[in-house]
Amino acid sequence: MTAIVKRRGDLARSRKDGSAGSGASRTRDNEKRVEYLAFVLAGDTYAVRIAVVGEIVRPPPITEVPRAPSPIIGVTSVRGRLVTVMDLRRRFALPEAPIDGKTRILLVQVDGDEHVGLLVDEVLSVFRLAESEIEGATVLGGEQPAYLAGVGRPKERKDLVLVLLDLRAAIAS
Amino acid sequence: MAEQGGGGKGENDRAREEFLSEAQELIDGLGRDVLALDELAKGGRSDPELINDVFRAVHTLKGLSGLFGAALMSGLSHELEEVLDDLRLGRIELSQRVLDVVFRAVELYGLLLTVERGSGADPSADVEGLLVALGEVSHRGRAGGASPVAQYELDPGLLGVLTEYEEHRLRTNIQNGMSLYKLRVSFPLATIDTALDELKASARPHGEIITYLPTGGGSDADAIELEILIASKEQIEVLRRDLSAHKLVIDEVPRRPLAQGRTSLPVAAPAGRVSLAPSFNPEAGTQVLGQLPPAPAPLPSLVPPEAREVSLRSVSQTVRVDIRKLDHLMNVVGELAIVRTELMTVVDRLRNRADMRPLMQELLRLHRSFERHLGQMQGGILEVRMVPLGQAFEKLARVVRQLSREHDKQVHLVITGAETELDKLIVEELSDPLMHMIRNALDHGIESRDDRLRTGKPPLGTIALNAFQKGNQVLLEVEDDGRGMDPKALAAVAVQRGILTPEEARDISARDALSLIFRPGFTTRDEVTDTSGRGVGMDVVKTNIGKLGGVVEVTSDVGIGTKITITLPITLAIISVLFVEIAGRTYAMPLASIEEAIVYDASLTRSFEGREVMTVRGATLPVCHLARTFGHTTSSPPPHGFVVVTSVGNRRVGFVVDSLIGQQDIVIKALGRTLRGARGFAGATELGDQRVALVLDASTLVEEAFQAHDKTSEKIAGRLPA
Repeated sequence: MTAIVKRRGDLARSRKDGSAGSGASRTRDNEKRVEYLAFVLAGDTYAVRIAVVGEIVRPPPITEVPRAPSPIIGVTSVRGRLVTVMDLRRRFALPEAPIDGKTRILLVQVDGDEHVGLLVDEVLSVFRLAESEIEGATVLGGEQPAYLAGVGRPKERKDLVLVLLDLRAAIAS
Repeated sequence: MAEQGGGGKGENDRAREEFLSEAQELIDGLGRDVLALDELAKGGRSDPELINDVFRAVHTLKGLSGLFGAALMSGLSHELEEVLDDLRLGRIELSQRVLDVVFRAVELYGLLLTVERGSGADPSADVEGLLVALGEVSHRGRAGGASPVAQYELDPGLLGVLTEYEEHRLRTNIQNGMSLYKLRVSFPLATIDTALDELKASARPHGEIITYLPTGGGSDADAIELEILIASKEQIEVLRRDLSAHKLVIDEVPRRPLAQGRTSLPVAAPAGRVSLAPSFNPEAGTQVLGQLPPAPAPLPSLVPPEAREVSLRSVSQTVRVDIRKLDHLMNVVGELAIVRTELMTVVDRLRNRADMRPLMQELLRLHRSFERHLGQMQGGILEVRMVPLGQAFEKLARVVRQLSREHDKQVHLVITGAETELDKLIVEELSDPLMHMIRNALDHGIESRDDRLRTGKPPLGTIALNAFQKGNQVLLEVEDDGRGMDPKALAAVAVQRGILTPEEARDISARDALSLIFRPGFTTRDEVTDTSGRGVGMDVVKTNIGKLGGVVEVTSDVGIGTKITITLPITLAIISVLFVEIAGRTYAMPLASIEEAIVYDASLTRSFEGREVMTVRGATLPVCHLARTFGHTTSSPPPHGFVVVTSVGNRRVGFVVDSLIGQQDIVIKALGRTLRGARGFAGATELGDQRVALVLDASTLVEEAFQAHDKTSEKIAGRLPA
């Protein structure tokens, strides 16, 4: 699934580059780029490195786990694999929202064997960000939580500001 | 092309994995044998067979590690082999010093293996040091002197083909005053291997077989006649009687008149060092130990080719399997169990259709057959996963030996029930907790020699490690005859450490006081050693055992000793559970700890010290509402639910649930690390319909229910939603 999303992103980019002329395209490709998956949480756009996302699924039935840390809404099973589901809204102290047709779970495997599913409002698309398009978390001012890795400003979408997350820190809490 | 390269690498990885597990097995066996040698050496004895086994194992390790480029291991093996060769050929004595070096080598092998697996610090320095020590104990010269063998009228043809080792054994036996006998026996070619083994076994109690070789005589073409030289302290009549089953001729080898004594003995090449490449075959995936050259090799060239073929066929019938593959199979069986359940619902739906009756019955029959075979398959896989606890015990014996030397305490480790079987994963996980407990027993439990003598105890302390099966559980006991623990002293320490208030310490029962050793933070050495106790990291022991679904309990008598008992389920992967409903949610309760389920009636319960209790079969039973424990709120609690009477160790609690759904065997899956904080759950399992149910951890919940009234734990309880 991610592979398809990725390829679509590539296509979009090459079309854009094509219009800008082949010479420009070559110089742009020389710049190191990292792929980010963008998603929506309470109206804001966030993004994580796509390498950590194994799969994007519609939310299956979730079993609540009593006494679990508050961001964890429960456990579920994706093809026989037990997944701990964390609501990123709760994690970032955003107001809760009901699960709807656009809600998705990003399956990630951060440390060791545990599979964690992150509940997000809506998945957008993949952005290939060059280093010049990424700013450190300090631009958000003062002291920031450890899970904020920086801010992405894709040149292709001037209207978008991506909050880049460090999932390891977000999940470890 | 790139893919092909990748495939080749996978093959190599597999071969390497095989090498690692093969080496691990050899090293484990080595440790076992060296321990046995140590036991014998304590009694001033030795066992040439055992030394041979050790030599053979090291020889194989050398070959394997060389093959896989494990340079350090190969170097170590080379030097160790040298020393062992000296040992088995009698060039050096089996002294305490030699044993120490060999023990260190075994330890180091373990370390080197971890390094080969890609973790652990660089052990080159240790290897260096040990190589020096090995060089010091080995004897590169050879003791000369006239041979006592010359006193016997032995056939020079026989003497001429003796290996150096055999010659050494012959000499030693003669020096020990044994008599020599010559046996002539004829074996059918087809069964020579087993027949010879049987003969060896029956001859062994009487003496030692020095060598055997074919005579070339015998009338039968399908049989082979062997001449066997045996050294024994017995009279010839005894041998004739005890070996009569084998149809053989025994003659005593007469002594030569002294004047005619031979001056020297022809020395044969050391056939024991035949360097056949180890028969390691990455493609076949298994290595068969039986094919390795035995040392000393029993004159292979003289065994007719037919016999050799026979021995090739009688290779070991075992296959080594990665535990993860078994886990996978177990999961598949779990999925099949789900399919079975779903199938049953189809049968139920057909039941209501009159026209489908014949079809339904056929389906039902198939379903039963499916169920039966599935059960067999499940049992079969579980059985394959079982290993004897002895695997973990052997490592412990080594630890005890090492520690008792370090602490200068004489300790005897008595092991019973090493053959008790448990799931492989449980046995693996047990090693560390057991080691911890034994270390504590030795460190804090067993008194110094002087103290023991003063209190009239035998100077040799005893640590007993007992394992036995009890129903669906395995019990493990670590018992010492040391100074024991005083509950009052433990309570006092707990007050010092801020774990108990002085009032609580005053009221605490002896049993609860002993359990204090499992509290985190209780275990700072100074405080504990000063009073009486032990308990370095006993909280970790308890946690680890709890993860395996087990319980730890402690009993102790001051001045007499301490006993720690671990109760464990036999298998991890599949458990029988009772599905129950609590506030509209489905939970699974492990059947192993459930005694019975009875109807709950609020009018039959009483409040007692702020706790709800009821009387079941004349005994008082604390009652715990799981909906409350889990913070589930229900708009309409059912008028009457059920009480599931659960027992863990000696404690019983009645858990109140809304309804009972039914029992089932399930595959249990571990919860992730982010859910560590959610106490009371052993894992989760899949229900048929894409849903997941949590499996309750009976031991934690029972313990919690007992603590719930403690003032100390009110704080914890207060944090939970009421």
